[in-house]
Amino acid sequence: MAIPTSNVPPFIAAQLNHLLNHFPLTLKVEQMWSGSKYYPGVFDRFTLVIPYCLEYIRWDVIYNVESPTAAPDVIFGPEDEDFHPFHMEFAEGQLGLKSSNKCLSDWNNKDPTRLLALIQYLRDQYVSYQRKRVGEVDDDRLKFEISTIFSREGIEMHMSSGAEKPEEVKFAVPLMDMNINDMVPGCPWRQTQKIFLQVIYPVGRKYMSAPSAPRLKLVSTPELKDLFSIEDVKLPAWLDGMCLAEYLPHLEESLVKQVKEAVSLIDIRRNFIEALACQFGRPLEADPVFCRKATVLSASGVFTFLVHFLIPTQFPKQQPSLLLQSSQHFNSQRAPIKSRPLNDYPWSPRWETSLMAERIFEFLAEEALNFKRQLNDGQLQ
Amino acid sequence: MAELSLHKIAISGPTLASVIQSFSTSPGAVDGLLFGHVTYVTPSTLSDDSASESSTLVATITGFLCSGTINSFYDSTGTVDPSSLHRLLIIGWFSGRRKTNLRPSMREFAVTASLSSMTQFAFSVKNAPESTNFNPCVFLLLSSPLADQPIHTHEYRGYQFRKVTESFDPKSMDIVNIGPAFRGHYGSFSPNAPFPSLACDLGHSPMNEDKDEGSLNQMKQVLKEQKELDICAEGFQVGSLSRLMGSEATNYTAGLENLYEKMLLKVENLARQVERSSAQVLEQENHNRRLRYKFLKSVVPE
Repeated sequence: MAIPTSNVPPFIAAQLNHLLNHFPLTLKVEQMWSGSKYYPGVFDRFTLVIPYCLEYIRWDVIYNVESPTAAPDVIFGPEDEDFHPFHMEFAEGQLGLKSSNKCLSDWNNKDPTRLLALIQYLRDQYVSYQRKRVGEVDDDRLKFEISTIFSREGIEMHMSSGAEKPEEVKFAVPLMDMNINDMVPGCPWRQTQKIFLQVIYPVGRKYMSAPSAPRLKLVSTPELKDLFSIEDVKLPAWLDGMCLAEYLPHLEESLVKQVKEAVSLIDIRRNFIEALACQFGRPLEADPVFCRKATVLSASGVFTFLVHFLIPTQFPKQQPSLLLQSSQHFNSQRAPIKSRPLNDYPWSPRWETSLMAERIFEFLAEEALNFKRQLNDGQLQ
Repeated sequence: MAELSLHKIAISGPTLASVIQSFSTSPGAVDGLLFGHVTYVTPSTLSDDSASESSTLVATITGFLCSGTINSFYDSTGTVDPSSLHRLLIIGWFSGRRKTNLRPSMREFAVTASLSSMTQFAFSVKNAPESTNFNPCVFLLLSSPLADQPIHTHEYRGYQFRKVTESFDPKSMDIVNIGPAFRGHYGSFSPNAPFPSLACDLGHSPMNEDKDEGSLNQMKQVLKEQKELDICAEGFQVGSLSRLMGSEATNYTAGLENLYEKMLLKVENLARQVERSSAQVLEQENHNRRLRYKFLKSVVPE
């Protein structure tokens, strides 16, 4: 989100922008407002939305425009009233106190990196705070799960409890120790793409003889869907009496295979787009990184039209979706008229890419006449 | 020793109003100290079913000192500087911040934890069956709602900080207003923080004769202060109050009235001086604010 810089004092704006641009996770500023009596237009407090455990936590960062040199204060969420980041380590021993407390005691409002250091520190503390809370839950299965996967890095845990909903413990387990970004040539992603397994354990049901299976769900960083759709992944079944440490290796093994395959499919899509050129001529536009889209110009007599190829991640198992766009017919909003997506035409995944292109070209020669007739009859809008 | 739990926090209406007033007139967030005492109170309304507790512990806020700014007696990490609270008898502190949620913040927690852990500020509980000490653990949080609202403009909440669980325990606030019901409470609201003592003894009473008079400097100071006080009561000694009684009284009344008139004149004069200096202070504050704002605008971080 762009910060309304005109209303924010420069020292706050500099720290906030540095934070938003350099924090390893994508942060958002939900709202900004003023706490000053005399300058109600000068924003000196804001709500940060921070991703945690595949959800979001909201912290209010309170600067004071009247005391610009003072370090900001933070108000945590209403459900985290026991989270006292600087006190926690105080209780755990004085050793670490000096070094990490520095982000507040050495506060310098002219240093734009300070807010980032503070928020990073607080989030790290929050991770251990939640881990500690989860560790205190009186549930044998959970205690066992924690002890067996403790060595895995990057696991985030969250304890949710409320008056109306049953107690639950959520795990966000980062899967596969490999960098997907590095596998994609010319990778445009700024953020490292990751796949997580969300595991939700119901707790506090003491009377149940055998613990029920946790709820499992795969979650990925949003941009990954250009390459690989986790919705297509079928999760292995959770057998009775299973634990996470048993479950994860199989899942990861199959995921690694699927991601590698997805990466190899990029080249097949590229081949296909190249094969299109033999039939349709050079594409007007094509997605050079993931090869998910290509647009060619085609003609049937004097009727010229564009063909958009939308190529699924499962290509060639799934055929591309075609969209025709007239270059001569426009609707009442002066936008070019498009056909409905065409998904049902002769196709075999076993064909060579050149044959695929050839068959599509043949199909379109006929379909163009259909499309033209529909346009002339005014059936399409 | 089990930690004592407060039953409630009592504050007089005017004191609370005054705290809110100093918060709402301040340019930004403020903090300050709370003075008062913690007392065992036997409830006046006896009922049959509340036999469990014969007396309750009440923290009474009798006064406060608003710093007008933040970080006044602690640093950014929330560590209290004990030297800044030297010789003060405090039962806790308060924090006021505009347009924020009514929840203790990270720093407020740290300050309260730090303050209540300092044993040098412990004070004894009044009316306690046995001598018990209490740490300054009262925290009063004031805020104004996030969105502007026409009627509801201020919020407050009182807490006791519990050392064992390291958490804030919300306590009900009992606002005692002046009225017939107040009379019984009157005594508990007399301030008890030590005020700088002014030596204004009536001459030398025999009781003071054999007391150690301290150093020469101290005596000089006392004399100077006495002189200043004497100027205020010029032509009138406290001792001559006795003339109000008996035969001399009629003559003396006129003299007294005269004195009061003079005093009134002086007070009026003083009020005018205060007014003038207040105006100057305000002017200076406005100037400072303008400078600060200019500074804010000019700070371009490297």
